Amino acid sequence: TIFISSLGLGTTLTFIGSHWLLVWMGLEINTLAIIPLMMYQHHPRAVEATTKYFLTQATASTLLLFASMTNAWTSGEWNLLEMSNPTSATLITIALALKIGLAPMHFWLPEVLQGLNLTTGLILTTWQKLAPFAILLQLYPLLNPNLLLFLGISSALIGGWGGLNQTQLRKILAYSSIAHLGWMITILHYSPNLTQLNLILYIIMTLTTFLLFKMFNSTKINSITISTIKSPLLTTITLMTLLSLGGLPPLTGFMPKWLILQELTKQNLAIPATIMALTTLLSLFFYLRLCYATTLTMSPNPIHSMSTWRTKSSQPNLTLLIASSISILL
Amino acid sequence: MLKILIPTIMLFFVSWLTPKKWLWTIITTHSLLIASLSLLWFKWNTDMGWDFLNQYLGIDPLSAPLLILTCWLLPLMILASQNHMYMEPIIRQRTYIMLLISLQTFLILAFSATEMIMFYVTFEATLIPTLIIITRWGNQTERLNAGTYFLFYTLMGSLPLLIALLIMQNNIGSLSMLIMQYSQLDLTTWADKFWWTACLTAFLVKMPLYGVHLWLPKAHVEAPIAGSMILAAILLKLGGYGMMRIIVMLNPLTKEMAYPFMILAIWGIIMTSSICLRQTDLKSMIAYSSVSHMGLVAGAILIQTPWSFAGAITLMIAHGLISSTLFCLANTNYERMHSRTLLLARGTQIILPLMATWWFLTNLANLALPPTINLMGELLIITSLFNWSNWTILLTGFGVLITASYSLYMFLMTQRGPTPQHLLSIYPTHTREHLLLNLHLIPTLLLILKPELIWGWTC
Repeated sequence: TIFISSLGLGTTLTFIGSHWLLVWMGLEINTLAIIPLMMYQHHPRAVEATTKYFLTQATASTLLLFASMTNAWTSGEWNLLEMSNPTSATLITIALALKIGLAPMHFWLPEVLQGLNLTTGLILTTWQKLAPFAILLQLYPLLNPNLLLFLGISSALIGGWGGLNQTQLRKILAYSSIAHLGWMITILHYSPNLTQLNLILYIIMTLTTFLLFKMFNSTKINSITISTIKSPLLTTITLMTLLSLGGLPPLTGFMPKWLILQELTKQNLAIPATIMALTTLLSLFFYLRLCYATTLTMSPNPIHSMSTWRTKSSQPNLTLLIASSISILL
Repeated sequence: MLKILIPTIMLFFVSWLTPKKWLWTIITTHSLLIASLSLLWFKWNTDMGWDFLNQYLGIDPLSAPLLILTCWLLPLMILASQNHMYMEPIIRQRTYIMLLISLQTFLILAFSATEMIMFYVTFEATLIPTLIIITRWGNQTERLNAGTYFLFYTLMGSLPLLIALLIMQNNIGSLSMLIMQYSQLDLTTWADKFWWTACLTAFLVKMPLYGVHLWLPKAHVEAPIAGSMILAAILLKLGGYGMMRIIVMLNPLTKEMAYPFMILAIWGIIMTSSICLRQTDLKSMIAYSSVSHMGLVAGAILIQTPWSFAGAITLMIAHGLISSTLFCLANTNYERMHSRTLLLARGTQIILPLMATWWFLTNLANLALPPTINLMGELLIITSLFNWSNWTILLTGFGVLITASYSLYMFLMTQRGPTPQHLLSIYPTHTREHLLLNLHLIPTLLLILKPELIWGWTC
């Protein structure tokens, strides 16, 4: 529990900080607090994932510190919002992109997520994204829009293409995370409110997905195919959530995409908007394949008995389901 | 408008709460009630054409026939699905009915939408229940592939449409259909050509146009009967309806840019009709015949004359009813023999004579025999195409010829000829099946008496 409270402390420090050192400290506390949580099982793959995570996050934090020090050296300002040196602004963008796993700095995310159990993976994809985004949301006018656009489009592309060949659910969720973060970062310069909306909705949808997979205790496509036997209702909810992640109207997942496309076309960026829209079709394909595996087909399986219920994590799931699937028609 | 929409949404709860014994009866009855209420939409009172108007939904003579067809089809779909669903557990039956009702709701919202974005959202929203119906309740392993083709072809066309609509909203300020036709867009640059394509591609894929029609045979063949019915009758017409709404905005570019699509549409009539002659699968024949008829409609909408628009709507309604009838007929064969192969169900006129009458009438309507509304639609379209370019009469005339030949082929193969030896114990036609086919055919025959109802706003 001390680690969970340290996680909370770290993110809160980053939220309230206006001095670069405080912000950096919050990020480091976050990293250090999650390391023992990831190592909980002493599985070799978990150890490897923890090491990779620590190395990448430390690199990112160091880069952040270096960039803020460069800014302080050239302008004398340690305040978060006074970022006058363009080099350090670019460096900070790259550092934060490495921290959250945007392409082309995404290579650590699938393997790290694969090594963790579902709960820790949940924390990694949802909570750990909050602190870097807090910094990005404050810095948004100062960052280079071309760089952000490049990061966004390449993340959407790589998130879509990378997830196509996966059978492990955690890797699929990693690539889905990359793709969604790509969408979020694209609109950052023009409307940070939309980034925030997308982030919150993405966190809710991913939370639901992770909790659903945890209910079924499955980490591969093979094991999720028998989920209809365990609980047909939750399987239907899985279908809706996966389609919502894919961004199909009228589910909630369509709303951020629509608003982002609207904002991009208003800024005369129609061609990047089209590219991003079409790349989501790639990630929709693997969501659809998961839907086929879970809900829409029944795999040959001799177990036809109702197994006992595990009501452990059902409560938060219900409220999140409602947020995640209910349609918003205009 | 709400008179129809709220009962349809309430049918959701009806399907979950009625006891098992009365489920199908009650759902059929209620949807028939809603369908008869929807006939009120035929009477339009206003001068401008937009009636039953509120802030978000409205009906005009273009959408009224399509809406009534949608409402009419729901009880028919439920009648048709009764047989293959009665063995399933009750929860799955309720889920199936709920999917059909949700599809119905989205379709009503789509056809009565007054703003293009609402039309877009509900247009996309119809994809999800259809996808679930095809992939969950279809009968062969190919249904997964069919669902993927269906979803991705449609989405690949419609995402550029979303961006095109957003661009249009930036330029004009509003996307309401009521005033869209009055906006004067200056479409001259090269980027505008992309915008023009983006606007139309979604609907052309949905219609489908010949080059991008591959999803249709797969989806129609693999879907269960209600899925096939709703796909053929209404979802294709969403494409036609959307095209007719948005093409008023796209002049004057349409004069030059329409040529490749016209070529694909008209050539597609002949190609898909010819493929029909070589099919062994009955449902596949009906699917390709749908592509062929829709090719005529696509060509008509692209030339934008009053007669062609009237012909397009008439053919859409006529084709919707007849195609759905054909799928129901094919399903009666399928339920008896669990095979769609044309050769296995030959010569059934001796065994099921009344069914042979319905086969006969339906195939006659499919080949556009006078005085059916199919003929009216095709005549209007062919005449207006002849006006647009004299050479099209060669292709469309040839297309009509091949349509006649495959419709007759379908009739003769299934009804006449030697009855095969293996059809020993097929059970006679249910009254439910007769009712279903009659409820399809009676509107078709009645509409000949007052065709102004389905001519839209141009005549």
